[in-house]
Amino acid sequence: MTDDTTTDDREAPAKTPVADGSGIVAPDDETPTWRERKERHVGLARLTYEYFERARREDQDLRTESDYVERDVLAFPTWPHETVRNLSIATFFVGMIIFLSATLPPHIGDPANPSSTPAIILPDWYLYWSFGLLKLNPLNPELAVLGGQKIMADRTYGVLANVVVVSIIAVVPFLNKGAARRPVEQPFWAAVGVFGVVFAFTISLLSVKNIIPMNVDLLFDLTFLAPVVTGMITYAVLKTMREGYMYDLNRRYYRLRPPK
Amino acid sequence: MTDEFVKGLGILTGAGLLWMVLAGWYRTPSFGSTEQLVAPLTVDTANATLLNLVAITLMDVFFWLALLGPLTFWVLIPAGRQARKAVEERRS
Repeated sequence: MTDDTTTDDREAPAKTPVADGSGIVAPDDETPTWRERKERHVGLARLTYEYFERARREDQDLRTESDYVERDVLAFPTWPHETVRNLSIATFFVGMIIFLSATLPPHIGDPANPSSTPAIILPDWYLYWSFGLLKLNPLNPELAVLGGQKIMADRTYGVLANVVVVSIIAVVPFLNKGAARRPVEQPFWAAVGVFGVVFAFTISLLSVKNIIPMNVDLLFDLTFLAPVVTGMITYAVLKTMREGYMYDLNRRYYRLRPPK
Repeated sequence: MTDEFVKGLGILTGAGLLWMVLAGWYRTPSFGSTEQLVAPLTVDTANATLLNLVAITLMDVFFWLALLGPLTFWVLIPAGRQARKAVEERRS
C-alpha cells in the first residue's frame, strides 16, 4: 500500500497531459496506424487493400501513358453553386412576369366564341415557319412546256416545301456528327446553323406578312436573302477568328475535351 | 471595360423596360394594331391630369436615357479614353 502511494507520487509529473500529440498520433504521415497495419496484414482486409492499391496503380499508369488531360475542376457541385444560380435566374423571370402583368394595360380578353371564325387565323407561334412555307406561291414555277401552267397547285407546292425542309433538317445530323464544341472548330457548319435559325425566323415573319408593316415583295425577298447573308457573315467572322486565335497552331488546345 | 459595358446594358434594359410599360399605356391605341408603342399620344396633353403629364414626361425621359446611356458608356467614354491615351503617347 505504501509502495503504491509512493509510485503515484513519483509518476505524477510524467502523467501530466501533453498537448503536442506525441505518443498518441504517429510522428509523421508515413508511419502506419494500427488500423492500417491490420488492414494490410490480415485476411480479407489485406486482399481488399491489395486490390485497391493495384487498381489505383493501374489507373495511374494509364494516365501517365495516355494523353489524358487532367483538370482540377470537372464541374460545379449542384448545391450550392447550381442551385443558387438557378434560383436567382428563376426568381428574376418570375419577378419579370409579375412586373409586366401588373404594369402593362392589356387584360385577358373575352373567351373565344366557337360559333364564329376570326378574320385572321394563325397557328401557334412555334409553327409559323411551317405556315410560312405554305405561302411560297411566287416560287412555284410556271413551265413553258405546259404553256405557262403550273405543274402543281400552290397548296401542294407549299406542302412539298415542308417535306423538303424537314428532310434537309433530318439529313444534317448524318452529314455532321456534331464533334465540334465551339463554332470556331467548324465555321462552315456553324454558318449552316446560323442560316437555319435566321431562316426559321424570316419564314415565320413571312407567314404573318399581313400584319408586318413592310412591303410584302421586299419581305419575301429578304426571307431568303437575309439567311444567306447572315450565314456568309458568320463564316467570314469565324474564319477571321481562327486567324486571330492562330487556330491551326493551337488546334490541340481548342479541341480539348473534358475527360469522360 | 466590362464595367462600362454592364453600365450601358443596364441602362438600356432598365430604361427600355420602363419606357415600354409607359408607352404601352400612352402610345398604344390597340394591342391588335400594327402600330404599338410608337403611335401618337392617346391622351390629350392639354387637359390631362397631373399623373398623366408626369408619366408622359417620364416616358420621353426613359426613351432618351435608353438611347443616350449606352451611347455614352459604349462609345463616348471609351473613345475619350482612347483619345486621351493617344494624346499622352504622342506627348511622351
